[in-house]
Amino acid sequence: MKTTDNSDRSAIIVWDLPTRVFHWLLVVGFALALITSDDSRYLYAHVYGGYLFAGLLAFRFIWGAVGSRYAKFRSFAYDWPSVTAYLKGLINGQASRYIGHNPAGSWAIFAMLLLGLLVVITGLVVLGGEERHGPLNGLISFKVGKGTKEIHELLAWSMFGLVVLHLCGVILESVFHKENLIWAMITGRKEAAAGTPGAAGHHLLGVTLLFVGAASALSYFHGYLVETADSPYRPFRGPQLPDNAVWREACGECHLAYHPNLLPARSWQLMMDEQAEHFGDDLGLDEETVKEVTDFLVKNAAEAGMTEAAWEMMESIGPDEKPLSIVETKYWKHEHKEISDAYWKSEKVRAKGNCAACHLDAKEGTFEDSSMRLPDLSKSERKP
Amino acid sequence: MKKKLTLFAAVALSLGATAASAGAVDELLQQYQTQGAGDFSAERGKQRWHEDHPDPEQPGKVRNCSSCHTNDFKAIGKHAKTGEEIDPLAPSVNKERLTDKKFIEKWLKRNCKWVIDRECTPQEKGDYLVFLRDQ
Repeated sequence: MKTTDNSDRSAIIVWDLPTRVFHWLLVVGFALALITSDDSRYLYAHVYGGYLFAGLLAFRFIWGAVGSRYAKFRSFAYDWPSVTAYLKGLINGQASRYIGHNPAGSWAIFAMLLLGLLVVITGLVVLGGEERHGPLNGLISFKVGKGTKEIHELLAWSMFGLVVLHLCGVILESVFHKENLIWAMITGRKEAAAGTPGAAGHHLLGVTLLFVGAASALSYFHGYLVETADSPYRPFRGPQLPDNAVWREACGECHLAYHPNLLPARSWQLMMDEQAEHFGDDLGLDEETVKEVTDFLVKNAAEAGMTEAAWEMMESIGPDEKPLSIVETKYWKHEHKEISDAYWKSEKVRAKGNCAACHLDAKEGTFEDSSMRLPDLSKSERKP
Repeated sequence: MKKKLTLFAAVALSLGATAASAGAVDELLQQYQTQGAGDFSAERGKQRWHEDHPDPEQPGKVRNCSSCHTNDFKAIGKHAKTGEEIDPLAPSVNKERLTDKKFIEKWLKRNCKWVIDRECTPQEKGDYLVFLRDQ
């Protein structure tokens, strides 16, 4: 839809409300997922960003088929020669003005939609495989989940690259045609020659879409609104891991009963064989207790691969290594390298083995990414 | 006949009551005496409780019972190494204290080895128990 006639213009609706709501919520979802991608503590929010993004994509694919005039995919399905012609025009200073998407912009839109779909799919694979959550939980192995993570990141950053390109295009065209395209995506209106057909507003659908988006956020995060200091909200509950009363009492009297899934069976065997020299102490457990505890530890050790931590622990330990201290393992150190000394020395943490100071699910042994909370340090503790 | 039964019930009841009040500590004290201990003294138990012993892991520092249990038997203690909370020692505030023979023996063994670097003698263990049961 080209216009070259500058006389007798009037504002028409180009972007219907659902398309605009889709656009800006997509920005929110993508930004949220991007900001929270670096720290696994924010995994829960990252996954929400992804779900929002996925839901919006699904809507857009439907709206691209049945939506209003300029939202329909068919209305901006340009061939490659149109793109090169448009770009050449830009360089020569004679690019035509399009009411809907221009050919270069449309290719960026389609590429972002396709890339977004791939980001969502790979994200679900990582979530199901590595984190054992989401719709694909149980269908994907740890290995595949972890391997897909790099692809997911690569795709997401490519998507980010396209967003930057899209923004450059918007600014370039806004300057070139002296019209604010960002504003047009907010009001939905653009100047057009009289007689140019406008799009239907679809206001009810747009408001509904906005409402569904807000409601989804509220229902997803509402646990944080009702949590108390004594029972902080724990998004993502891990699987119910095997438990044993004798083990819990024998180990839990002096320290957190570290769940067997945190060390390999050979480590637990050695630890129980050496119970008379347990980190400098003689446990003096009777034979019956030793047997029951050892059996439980060995049976449910890291080899059983019940959690992400168990799998990572096995991957990081050599076949001949028998670590006895969890906090001395390579995996543990890697995962805690960003925790400053102030925390370890604080009254609330005291020792590296005090997992429960930050991990809300330490007792259960699941060590979910989203169940981590660094304690608030007092002022004196914060000083280096 | 009825009188006899009543008498029998009274005897049985009083026997049962004696057995309950004897409890874990008395049984252990008897056991320690068969292992060679003499009379027990709460005063000696108190002295031993406060005795300092060199800490083999931290030269210059000392260990004693209150390293973990604190000097207030009615307060919650704290494991010296891990910081894990320890229920109060005093039976007057913690009904479960000194009621389980196996538990008492396990912890006396473990804690004696930690504080004085050897197992306690039956005499020492008995002194601790008679001191603690009055708290």
